[in-house]
Amino acid sequence: MTNDQFLSLFRTMLIIRHTEEELARCHQRGLIFGACHTYVGQEAISTGVCAHLTNDDPIFSTHRGHGHALAKGMPPRELMAELFGRATGCSRGRGGSMHLFSPEIGMMGTSGIVGPCILQACGGGYSSKLMKTGRVAAAFFGDGAVNNGAFHEGLNMAAIWKLPVLFICENNQFATEVPFSYSSGSPHVGRRAANYGLPGFEVDGNDVLAVTEVAREAVARARSGGGATLIECKTYRTRAHAEGMGDFTYRTREQVDEWKLRCPIASLRQRLLTEFGIAEAQLQQVESEITALVAESRQFAESSPLPDAATAAVNVYATRKTGIPARPASNADGQNRPSSGDPSRVITFTQATHEALSEEMAVNPTIFVMGEGIGIRGGNFKTTAGLYDLYGPERLCDTPISERGFVGLAGGAAMTGTRPVIDFMFADFILDSVGEIVNQIAKMQYMSSGRLKMPVLLRGCIGIGHSAATHHSGSYYAMYAQVPGLRVVVPSNAYDAKGLLKHALRCDDPVMFLEHREILTTKCHVPTEDYEIEFGRAAIVRVGRDVTVVALARMVHLTLSVCEELERDGISVELVDPRTVSPLDTDTILQSVAKTGRLLIVDEPPAPCGFAAEIAAQVTDAGFDDLDAPIRRLTGVFTPTPYSPPLEAAVVPTAAMIADAIRSLVKE
Amino acid sequence: MSHEIVIPRLGWSMEEGTFVGWLKKDGDLVRRGDAVFELEGEKASQDIEAVDEGILRIPPTGPKPGSLLKVGAVVGYLVAAGEETLWTVPSPMTNSPPALESALPPAAAPSVRRQAREAGIAINDVAGTGPGGRVMAADVHRTRTSPQQQEPVTALPIANPRPTHGRSAVASPRARRVAAELGLNWSTLTGTGANGRIRERDVRAAAASGHSSTSAARAGQRLPLTSRRRVIAQRMVASRQQTVPVTLTTKADATNLVNLREQFKRREPLKSVGGSTPIPSYQDIITKLVAEVLKRHPRLASRWDEDAIVLPADDELHLGLAVDTEEGLLVPVIRNVGGLSLSELAGQSRRLADQARAGKLVATEMQGGVFTITNLGAFGIDAFTPVINLPEAAILGLGAIRREPVVLDDGQIAARHQLTLSLTFDHRIVDGAPAARFLQDVVNAIANPSAWLLG
Repeated sequence: MTNDQFLSLFRTMLIIRHTEEELARCHQRGLIFGACHTYVGQEAISTGVCAHLTNDDPIFSTHRGHGHALAKGMPPRELMAELFGRATGCSRGRGGSMHLFSPEIGMMGTSGIVGPCILQACGGGYSSKLMKTGRVAAAFFGDGAVNNGAFHEGLNMAAIWKLPVLFICENNQFATEVPFSYSSGSPHVGRRAANYGLPGFEVDGNDVLAVTEVAREAVARARSGGGATLIECKTYRTRAHAEGMGDFTYRTREQVDEWKLRCPIASLRQRLLTEFGIAEAQLQQVESEITALVAESRQFAESSPLPDAATAAVNVYATRKTGIPARPASNADGQNRPSSGDPSRVITFTQATHEALSEEMAVNPTIFVMGEGIGIRGGNFKTTAGLYDLYGPERLCDTPISERGFVGLAGGAAMTGTRPVIDFMFADFILDSVGEIVNQIAKMQYMSSGRLKMPVLLRGCIGIGHSAATHHSGSYYAMYAQVPGLRVVVPSNAYDAKGLLKHALRCDDPVMFLEHREILTTKCHVPTEDYEIEFGRAAIVRVGRDVTVVALARMVHLTLSVCEELERDGISVELVDPRTVSPLDTDTILQSVAKTGRLLIVDEPPAPCGFAAEIAAQVTDAGFDDLDAPIRRLTGVFTPTPYSPPLEAAVVPTAAMIADAIRSLVKE
Repeated sequence: MSHEIVIPRLGWSMEEGTFVGWLKKDGDLVRRGDAVFELEGEKASQDIEAVDEGILRIPPTGPKPGSLLKVGAVVGYLVAAGEETLWTVPSPMTNSPPALESALPPAAAPSVRRQAREAGIAINDVAGTGPGGRVMAADVHRTRTSPQQQEPVTALPIANPRPTHGRSAVASPRARRVAAELGLNWSTLTGTGANGRIRERDVRAAAASGHSSTSAARAGQRLPLTSRRRVIAQRMVASRQQTVPVTLTTKADATNLVNLREQFKRREPLKSVGGSTPIPSYQDIITKLVAEVLKRHPRLASRWDEDAIVLPADDELHLGLAVDTEEGLLVPVIRNVGGLSLSELAGQSRRLADQARAGKLVATEMQGGVFTITNLGAFGIDAFTPVINLPEAAILGLGAIRREPVVLDDGQIAARHQLTLSLTFDHRIVDGAPAARFLQDVVNAIANPSAWLLG
């Protein structure tokens, strides 16, 4: 290493230290609104690793991320302004200490949850591998993360797919305040790598030269296709878990003082003077430069404007499409279907979604599919049949049963420029990954102020039927519709499914695409030409006069089956299929209710806090004067789904129940 | 310099009024004396005129039609051009988009809608000349008098322009909305929905069958008091408590009166500005005769004023006409009846009665009366005991004109038109004999109207 390189390491560590100490002072004075987790004592690790990374190499981090951001090249002023809650902060005031974003320099985000960065780094590695960019992703996490499932699933996926990833474990010996010696059966992390078939290292995390050396090898291995490396850096944080917290309930002042003597900056300084012949004056010059830089940064932060409250809800969703291949003019409205082509062309729901996926994969090389059995096998429901032969194993990637792992990976892949399609087979399965969906994927566009796009398509089956029992029959869309940042799509027919899936594959938002298993073989006319159905546009499946019924998926079919019978009895039903639960087209529903004065919502899942409740509340609010009768809900029974046919039939609305509910409603 | 526009006090006991609507738009230039908004007081609605000049600024929180406002409440501002208001409003200089053609029925006050219905005119066919195309009473009147208007009378319900609170029945929100749109009082309907809930179909069925909101008040129903009803009650009680009323009844021979009116009917209609002159009604002729008689008996038109009895001058013979309206009794006043021709009087009494029924009387049109005439003859009533309209001294009640057998002076029996008169007077002011002499002269005047009118 050259003297300049040594001085660069010294400079970076010093920037981290001075910035953190200044932030600690500001926190004490009440200038920082929320939490502040400092990196003091651990500076050598991020400095040594990031020395080998470029702005194109993505890193992912946790709550103790100031040092990672600064080592990756974030100016201290942006970090300080963020903690001061300013519009000029790296996350525009949306994140604070635990949510630092600067994708422009490869700082893809820090997280308040300890495991996800491991999975996201796998996603960054997967993008690199798929797009052959040669980029290396790195995850920085503490010893607290290594007993989390994400560590296990992430390292395994990185190993089997030889992902270009560095897993940097900063073992500072405490997960918040729980000692690693207590929470792990083995005091060492690095040697766990062998269990996954990965190279693993255990180094002195306070020795920046040692970290630099092992990281250099790991980065070179990753760039050359050699796969991932686990590096455990044994270290110690010499300040409290977070500023303002008591520190001596779980460790002693003597222990902390002992580690302070092993300060990584002081030891490098000593070696620069004694071993590498760098002059004291040169080091002092660096120190005074950095003192000035940090003072200027604090002044910048304090004098920066606070964000405009009017922007608080901006960037929840992507505002524009990017990276979409040129298309023929698409027909976005399902009411006005393309009429050219063969009108007798009738295909199933599954065939329609298969067409959409296949067509989009043909024109968009960033699309890849992950799931269990979606490769050669072609998917449990034939969702990817034949595509493996066309696009190969990297774009049709079979997974281990690691739902949290590959959903988290999908998030990281989307953040780094590819478009993952997660085929989860049954909606029940990905409940293991809800944290990744809700905390990471859904929130990422917002927390990054729209600088990251999250085109993650999560697709799979929902619905009760055929004695699938309780782990293969859930719907859960109401739960996902409560999450800002997600789109939730529940099509009822082949035509809609194709148009909606096309839109999902072209938009930049994370989409939960839920396909009711009991209608996968239903058929309708689907044109060969390209079309797309925008989200938030309901379909009026049947025009009527007396009562509005809102239903999704299979309930649309059930309702439709009783409409003629009711018509003969003088009851004219208008059937509205919102098609997407989020966004929800309340305008169309309100217009229909304004006409009919009556509203029944038929929904398969149980009622509490559900889809029907939401519509009822909105219509009561905005359409109160149009109501000629109370709003009715007909929903599934509030119970897990039983197996035996008579039990199963008893928990789902039937056609007869729908007809009865409509008759009862018009008598109100 | 901005001026506040406030809710004025329209009568002595008015504490609050119902805001009917703006007559100017935000951004309009308002000159002193321009009517700015319409306000409904205790007894009638009134166009409120600006006392200042400036550009009208209506705050976003400004009053909505139908809102009840305290006297003195600020409803808007008049500002100088370019002057900023306290709230942010679009500049009047910016070009606002032209109003879109609306498929909705034109705006019109409920009372105007009722007038239109009563006249058999579809409100949609009336060209509104009010602000924003709002249909005004005059527009309905003009349409009614134009000869091409021959639409059959549609049997529509009588409007109850004020929502009735404290309902005893339950109606769906939609039924309530539709009832309001149709000007129908849903609280009087019978519901066919669950638990007797009134539904849209009930309202529409009632509308189609010509349901009247007032005549169908159901037995056992509790009708909430309107502000007008309260005022009427207060005034009636005050009259009973403060006066010593005595009622005299007698019969007058109305044969010549009936003949006189026949002569008016046979006369070629006189054309005058604003339409043909109406034929005077019996009440109009009697009003004119009473004014002549009152010149000889001014004490019957006087008022009790602490330490004096105040007599009217001849040109102060302002006579009140009791008018029955949907909302209760109103007494508009015809000024200086002695100074009016019969035709003029007939025109004024018709206009005032129309305005009273339309709820469009201005407060001053109900003030200053010295004597009141009330007429229940149309209902077949003969004698009754009218209640003095304070602070007046007397009130004359007119009964039905009937053909009755009368023994003539020569002993023969003949069929003659007979009219029963009921005079209630305040015995504090007038004694029995002078009151009787007044009534005697009224009888004489009715028996010989030409002599009294031409003399």
